[in-house]
Amino acid sequence: MTRAETLSIALPALVVLALIIAPLGLDPYGYTLRILCLMLLFCAMGQAWNIVGGLANQISLGHAAYFGIGAYSSTILFGSFGLSPLIGVFVGMALAALFALVLSLPTLRLKGHYFALATLAAGEVARVVANSWTSLTGGPVGISVPYRPDAGFWALQFQTVLPNYYLFLGAMVLVSLVFWRVQTSAFGYRLRAIKENETAAEVIGVNTYRVKLHASLLSAVLTAMLGTLYAQFQFFFDPDTIFGVATISVKMALIVILGGAGRLYGPWIGAAVIIPLEEMANSYLGNSIAGLSQFAYGVLLIVVILLNPRGLISLFESLRDRLKRRQRA
Amino acid sequence: MEYLIILLQTLLDGIMIGGVYAVLAIGLSLVFGVMHIVNFAHAEFMMIGMFIGWACWHFLGLDPMLGAFIALAVTFGFGMVLQRVLIRPVLGAPQVAQIFLTVGMLFALENAALMIMGAEYRSVTTPYQTQSLTLFSHGAERVLVGMDKLYAFLMALLSGSAVWLFLNKTRFGAAMRATSQDPMAAKLMGVNTDLMYAVAFGLGVGTTAFGGSVVLPYITASPAVGSGYAVLMFTVVVLGGLGSVTGAIIGGIAVGIIQSFSALFMPIQLQNLALFVVFILVLALRPEGIVARRRS
Amino acid sequence: MTKTTTKSPFSLSRRQVLAAGAATALTMPFYARRGFAADTINVGVIQPLSGANAQFGINSRNGIQLVADEINAAGGIQSMGGAKINLIISDATSNPTQAATVAQRMMSQDGVCAVLGAFASSLTLAISEVTERRGVPLLTMSFSDQVTGRGFRNIFQVVSKASQLGSATITHTLDLARKAGDEITKIAIMYEDTAYGTSQAGGLRAAAEANGIEVVMDEAYPLGITDVSPLINQLRRTQAQAVFPVSYLNDSLLIIRNMRQQGINLPTIGGAAGYIIPDFRNGLGELADDVLSISPAAYDQAPEFTERFRERFGYFMVHEAQEHAACMGVLASALEKAGNADPRQLREVIAAETFDEGWATVMSGGKIKFDETGLNIHAVPMMVQWRGDELVTVAPAEYAKAEAVWHRL
Repeated sequence: MTRAETLSIALPALVVLALIIAPLGLDPYGYTLRILCLMLLFCAMGQAWNIVGGLANQISLGHAAYFGIGAYSSTILFGSFGLSPLIGVFVGMALAALFALVLSLPTLRLKGHYFALATLAAGEVARVVANSWTSLTGGPVGISVPYRPDAGFWALQFQTVLPNYYLFLGAMVLVSLVFWRVQTSAFGYRLRAIKENETAAEVIGVNTYRVKLHASLLSAVLTAMLGTLYAQFQFFFDPDTIFGVATISVKMALIVILGGAGRLYGPWIGAAVIIPLEEMANSYLGNSIAGLSQFAYGVLLIVVILLNPRGLISLFESLRDRLKRRQRA
Repeated sequence: MEYLIILLQTLLDGIMIGGVYAVLAIGLSLVFGVMHIVNFAHAEFMMIGMFIGWACWHFLGLDPMLGAFIALAVTFGFGMVLQRVLIRPVLGAPQVAQIFLTVGMLFALENAALMIMGAEYRSVTTPYQTQSLTLFSHGAERVLVGMDKLYAFLMALLSGSAVWLFLNKTRFGAAMRATSQDPMAAKLMGVNTDLMYAVAFGLGVGTTAFGGSVVLPYITASPAVGSGYAVLMFTVVVLGGLGSVTGAIIGGIAVGIIQSFSALFMPIQLQNLALFVVFILVLALRPEGIVARRRS
Repeated sequence: MTKTTTKSPFSLSRRQVLAAGAATALTMPFYARRGFAADTINVGVIQPLSGANAQFGINSRNGIQLVADEINAAGGIQSMGGAKINLIISDATSNPTQAATVAQRMMSQDGVCAVLGAFASSLTLAISEVTERRGVPLLTMSFSDQVTGRGFRNIFQVVSKASQLGSATITHTLDLARKAGDEITKIAIMYEDTAYGTSQAGGLRAAAEANGIEVVMDEAYPLGITDVSPLINQLRRTQAQAVFPVSYLNDSLLIIRNMRQQGINLPTIGGAAGYIIPDFRNGLGELADDVLSISPAAYDQAPEFTERFRERFGYFMVHEAQEHAACMGVLASALEKAGNADPRQLREVIAAETFDEGWATVMSGGKIKFDETGLNIHAVPMMVQWRGDELVTVAPAEYAKAEAVWHRL
């Protein structure tokens, strides 16, 4: 193994190891742990989105639909039938796959902006349905995961946040491994061929429709799984939150794009930057003039994208290249 | 007879609210068409136009229909500046970066408005808000149209035809269309494409601000008002056909009619469900929109 | 020379190291605990200070700020040696996930003894999931039935539940009509499909049924509806004798104006929110006159307190400000009685005592006592009516400050 290859395995392993031991010194109920949880969750969500959005450049702005389906499925099954979220999660994943399948019929042949807008509308369809199908979802008042602290692991709820943290960490590693497998497989090359030039990909014999469909299904299923984990962490949600355009769909995409689309570490970096950034804006400025913290967040987004439109990863890369050139000179 | 009147009224309601959507969406269509950018912040310029219209009414006593022209002028300049500073640097960047730059703009603009204007709801009172025109009556049944929406509809036609004339009947407009179709070739022909983009963006956000002031008698201004219209405006523009001014007007009316007719046979709560399903289907079957994009 | 390119998927180099470094630097603030002096008591205030509910959040913050400043000016909490109230105010945005994070932050970093908030019930419910597990009292004026319906021990709601508000709306309306000589048998309900609209409409529906009244129109509409004509067209074709719209401001203006356009002059009884803020009057002018609305609290019930709000902020004390002020009043009394700021002891005091002093008395009913679910048993929904720029209580009779104006059907 070359030094670079050793490093390339050692470093992510170190990061994961650090993440494993990180919470041990922290207050198990605490705020820092919650922020770490959200970072891991949104990293995993971004990674799931990355499979279609990053590799195939299919900019979906409706992933909240899958997330919400996952959250609602497990919560309704647990609330109404006492079915463990450990089983409910699979129901949610199956339903999300079904939704992705139905949605693929009209949307998968669309390109660029059209695909983005069609998926945006699809997410809104899910939100409207959840809001009006009151008998199933509880409607706009939202739904609570029944509080059963005694039921333990079967109910997938815990007194402290620590077990949630490890669930999120596991999910993040899992989704990242899936992404890596896809990225390095023939499937991944086909996806990237679509990203580079869809027509050319078809000419050389790639069944672009099928490849995109498979990627969508995979992405949808993983997103639904994360939806269940979110529900078991937050315990209460309503249609506007779980199917939110800004809070879920756009944020998933944003994390990937800010970090670096189509790159394994894109969502890692994106989540590690966005979530604390948002939180800091809120923490330091939320106490002052109304609107200042959200304003600062918006300005920071603009600045980051203006600094480097290809994501932070490439910002680091270009910095590195510049350093190297200077060394050689 | 009664059923006929209901149908007529529903159709008219749809067309009128469609005019409201159209006056807001013409600008988005322009930005979309010329710069090929999905501008998520676009609805924020409606909010800005509403505040300018409100200020003109509140401090100068100007009717929002007149304040609209001031909103257009101010926002046109503001848009040109924004384009220079923020949009131009990302014109060659990946689409996604452009999308998310505008998401950042959305946050910044909405909350800047909150800091400057406060969170109060600002509405105007004009005599025609509560007036209506009875077009037809039969016994107790009437077909009527609200004057506020009638004015908005007429202003939509005005702004739509002005933009259309500008694009199709002036040299400047021709240069802008050339830029939209092939920036390289336009540049070779001596068109200042940078200027074209800046003007297109300024005009795009300006016409939407114009629309914002026009709908003021009807919709209350507040910093967050734009977010509710963003998706709707995209629906209008895509249904009509990206980048087409006539398309934006027809798309607006189509959205209005879909919403009003859906209320006849399903709960009003589901009117947007009907809209989005039609939207996705239209995209799938006819991605170029109801009105095919005209390339002359 | 380091190798510059590699096919390995886990290719890591300075860029990732840099990234990790940047991430660590960014997260540093979360480890830094903010210290607080022993003579101050940190109280968490979580409100939607941006987004669609910003106005209500800001009103609520103003109400709490007023009370806290008054207490501090009068020498703080006496039983704790004059300790001062220190409000930790934060923006919940309109996102429940953010609201819960903020609550967690306040408990961990600032050691707040209680949390006040957060106007919108979706935010309050999300916060309560965090405060409940931490045993920190949460005082709220959100009135969705879910707030006290989950068996939580640490949540206290100073206002009536949405279902109680809905039923009071119907019974008071029937009374007012009867007094004027009208008998109402058919009503129309229209509501926005939010937590607030849906739960209050549920109360209206149930009360109508209980009173043997026919609901001839019962229509939810999407939040941010752009055209209410279909609703009003439908209303025009019914035989409704009174209309009960439940909405925030923009829809309320649209509904009233559109009714006038169509020449409909039915008595309109609003469901709080948009119907009882100064902007309703500003937007409608004299069309607002005589519009009735239910309100969980009314400022004319305790003018000696609420006028201080008007003096400081320049507008009448809107109900959310008043109710949040009552929350702060309860907390101040509880601190005074407990003699310390331990959340668990505070919880016991809040759950046990009756609060009938200071700002706790501005709630309708004049005092506050919570039942085992955390609901204030003394809260009475008020029926208010617009008189010029002011709201006046017209029902129930024992609280009324003026006769109701009822235009005969």
